Amino acid sequence: MATVSLQNVVKDYLTDGQRVRALDGLSLEVSRGEFVALVGRSGCGKSTLLNLAGAMDFPTSGQVLLDGVLTSTLNDAALTQLRREKVGIIFQSFQLLHTLTVLENIELPLLLAGKANARTTARERLAWVELEGLGERYPHQLSGGQMQRVAIARALVHSTSVLLADEPTGNLDTVTGNAILELLRRLTREQKTATLMATHSPEAAALADTVVRLRDGKIEESTRR
Amino acid sequence: MSRLLLFYRLIVRPLLQEPVRAALTVFAVALGVAVVLAIDLAGTAATGSFRSSMETLAGDNDLEITASGGIPEVIVGTLAALPYVLRVSPRIEDYAVVPETKQSLPLIGLDLVAQGSADANSASSATNIAQFEEALKHLGDNDSIWVGASLGRKPGEHLQLLINDRVAEYAVRGIYPDSNGNEAAIVMDLAAAQRALNRFGRVDRILVKVPQTPGLEEWQQRLRALLPPGVEVHPQGTGTNENRRMLAAFHWNLRLLSCIALVVGAFLIYNTISVSVVRRRAEIGVVRALGASRAAVLAAFIGEAAFFGLTGAVIGLPLGRVMAIGAVKLMAATVESLYVSSRPGPLELDFASMLFSLVIGVGVSVASAYSPAREASLVSPVEAMARGRREYTARVEKTRDLWLALALGIAAAVASRAPAIAGKPLFGYLAALLLVIACALAIPAFVDALASFLSDALRRILGIEVLLASRSLAASLRRTSVLVGALSTAIAMMTAVGIMVGSFRETVVLWMGGQLPADLYIRPAGREAAGHHPTLSLDLAEKIAALPGVAAIDRLRAYEISYDGLPVELASVDVHILGSHHKSGFFSGRPAGEVLAELHDANTVIVSEPFTYKHRVHAGDSITLSLGESRPTFRILDVYYDYGSERGTILVDRNTMLRYLPDPAPSNLAVYVLPNASLQSVRAEIEQAAVGHRILVFSNRDLRSEAIRIFDRTFAITYALEAVAVLVAVMGIAGALLALVIDRRRELGLLRFLGASTSQVRKLILLEAGLLGLLANIAGLALGFALSLILIYVINKQSFGWTIRFHWPVAVLLAGLTIVYAATVMAGLYPARVAVQLNPLEVIHEE
Repeated sequence: MATVSLQNVVKDYLTDGQRVRALDGLSLEVSRGEFVALVGRSGCGKSTLLNLAGAMDFPTSGQVLLDGVLTSTLNDAALTQLRREKVGIIFQSFQLLHTLTVLENIELPLLLAGKANARTTARERLAWVELEGLGERYPHQLSGGQMQRVAIARALVHSTSVLLADEPTGNLDTVTGNAILELLRRLTREQKTATLMATHSPEAAALADTVVRLRDGKIEESTRR
Repeated sequence: MSRLLLFYRLIVRPLLQEPVRAALTVFAVALGVAVVLAIDLAGTAATGSFRSSMETLAGDNDLEITASGGIPEVIVGTLAALPYVLRVSPRIEDYAVVPETKQSLPLIGLDLVAQGSADANSASSATNIAQFEEALKHLGDNDSIWVGASLGRKPGEHLQLLINDRVAEYAVRGIYPDSNGNEAAIVMDLAAAQRALNRFGRVDRILVKVPQTPGLEEWQQRLRALLPPGVEVHPQGTGTNENRRMLAAFHWNLRLLSCIALVVGAFLIYNTISVSVVRRRAEIGVVRALGASRAAVLAAFIGEAAFFGLTGAVIGLPLGRVMAIGAVKLMAATVESLYVSSRPGPLELDFASMLFSLVIGVGVSVASAYSPAREASLVSPVEAMARGRREYTARVEKTRDLWLALALGIAAAVASRAPAIAGKPLFGYLAALLLVIACALAIPAFVDALASFLSDALRRILGIEVLLASRSLAASLRRTSVLVGALSTAIAMMTAVGIMVGSFRETVVLWMGGQLPADLYIRPAGREAAGHHPTLSLDLAEKIAALPGVAAIDRLRAYEISYDGLPVELASVDVHILGSHHKSGFFSGRPAGEVLAELHDANTVIVSEPFTYKHRVHAGDSITLSLGESRPTFRILDVYYDYGSERGTILVDRNTMLRYLPDPAPSNLAVYVLPNASLQSVRAEIEQAAVGHRILVFSNRDLRSEAIRIFDRTFAITYALEAVAVLVAVMGIAGALLALVIDRRRELGLLRFLGASTSQVRKLILLEAGLLGLLANIAGLALGFALSLILIYVINKQSFGWTIRFHWPVAVLLAGLTIVYAATVMAGLYPARVAVQLNPLEVIHEE
């Protein structure tokens, strides 16, 4: 069974009274351990697809299933619960809380979920991203690459089955960006996550198992390597 | 024009996009302006424009002749016989009560025949009433009265009046117009008034109109030379001026208290403009890069503050007028019971008041916005556009400010030791202001340290949200500090005034324990107020003294006299009776019996603490008093604690008093009941003996309860002022939290992405409100304690001369702080709602 399954999904937005179709009958399945890159021009629907796959938004029509759970049947509390347990997100601009230390940032989702042993798990995840020893630093004391590693550790702090990355190397230089992509690919394999990455970069997409090219809300091309 | 357009686009339009927050700031300023205006208007009506009720029908005379205990009537004849063209108008002045409505009215006795013939054409004086032929027929009748038109009576009607302890029926013979400074009064012919008041052979005041030459001072000296030593000659209205001087401190203190809300409002304006600058730092950089000068940026933010100030003042004007109606009632009651009998003037919202409101609204706003506006003007375009706002918010120099706070604290301690200037505790106010500023400067360090401590301490109980809340507050240290500063200032004032009033109350309760030794107290049912003491019939006192259950009675007599240009109370007691019951201590520490024994039948006095403070005299000094026709000198034996009169009291033995003021009628009776007699039976016997008299009998407990009721009423206005200040601060918290939510929407959206539920986001905002409240409560309590010491030992002492024993009113403070804390948390409800309704997808992709 696919971890992320989008079936004939349509998503419309209303902008100034005008209906704008972001996704138009799109279907996609991503399995555990699979690293999928979403490519395409701005406005092609990459971010919308990530939002739906992360249970952060509902489709206008069609179905989105996460680990077999139909997201449109859940209320806000259940959706929050599903996100907590299944989904990890990485942003282009890292989105760390500057008032918290590295370890506090990583353990935050666990604490929000009321989980025990948060600090131990956070330290373990910090080791996954090879930043042991930086746990007590604040985000402004880190480099861009280090901040993104912290964001990845935070995204994986639950036993995440879906990892979503929105332009994870957009704010990084090439060498650092490549190291992050390598880390993502390694963790996808080791942790058996279904990873969906939106990117403009052909170099980044080249590292994925599958490259899905979007155009006007539809899959134009899907290439499996 | 283009500048106005830019001002609208860059400053006003963003404000309109956050209407709730802008409205909260405007309303906070409006409340601050309103409360200052209300106290100013009410103060002017109740005290500032003070005009004694006794000036009713006083006309346009030049001089007034007075003597303690009244002027012998023969002096009127002496003056009238002088070879000068003088108009001499003797007056009896007292009060009468209409029993059916309990309305108290000035009772004025005039020589109606003489006045009517001397000035038949005066439109505004009492002489009008003598013009009527019908009225003239009844001038000699004992029951004839003339009343003010506003009483709504008609000639021929009958009216019952309670005068001293007797009720009698009077016939209305005529009506006079009570406008142009005259108030509704009962007017009698002089002889009838003397009869009604048992004041034979004496008048209370003689008004004299003198020719224009050779000048008022010369006339004053001429007349003084002709009169006995105790009789004083002053320009007309001197009594009113003395009362005005006496009321000045009361009015002044209330005015300053009313400024607290404005100070709190100033903090909030500072915060609003700071937030505005922080948010638009990048915009400022862009505008500077596009050619805006530093002055233009400064003017823009000053303009924003002026906009808040002006709008707040315009709303505050009518609000202040409405609040003044309530304030004037409270102030008038206080003036009546503590200072002098008077009727408040009308509330007048004139051009000056309106200008005053606009100046304070705009002035305080602009002054408090200057610092952040100047910082905005110093922003360098490159730095602003490149580095964003986070570093800016972090620019708080905690350590430097802490040292400054310490220096100001020391300066406050030094200022608190300085004496009053012209009777005003100016250095006391300075010390209080320095402490408030010191506290504001110390708050960043305090917030930083305590937020960190609280986050660790409370995390186990309240979860991760408390960590997020405390870190967020510490991260926006500047903004948090201003908010905590504003709220803690309001709380500090509440605490300080609460402690001061609580201490004062406790002191009064303890004092009454020693000062009121008798079992029953009796006074006439007629109007009693500060400066006015109706008397009991002498025969009634004798009857009560002879009742079987009565061990002894003390006949107290009080007069209002003038000493050193200020009104004071002169009272007499039966020293031999008081000596065997009195428990209160004296300043010297000598036993009461020993001091009172020296008072017996001698030219010695004991004086109250406020008297020594106001007139700079001490035990052992001598004072000369104008009593009747003589000016005897008295030695001050000792000083006693007294909280019954702010004007100061001189106490003499009854025999001594009768030597100079021979009227034996007592103002009050203190009745000591025999140990084996029933209090209830004695009370019933007294009431039986007093048939035909209107008296009030209080048990010792009743009298204390009544005193405490008056005390609480006196301070009701201070509580109302504090409540407004706290309300302003809480509104500021709500506005600031709303700004915080809007500024942190990305962070809140992110939390939702990371799995935070809506209830956790709500809890986070409420916890921030709660932490703000907690920090402000702690800081406010500490500052309030320090301020209370200044209030009790400096400002109160230098303004009123009372020694107050420090007392923690735990229940009152606990209740006050709990209410403020609950209000602060509730102020977070709306911002929390806004936070919960934020769409994480939208806010996270905004940046």
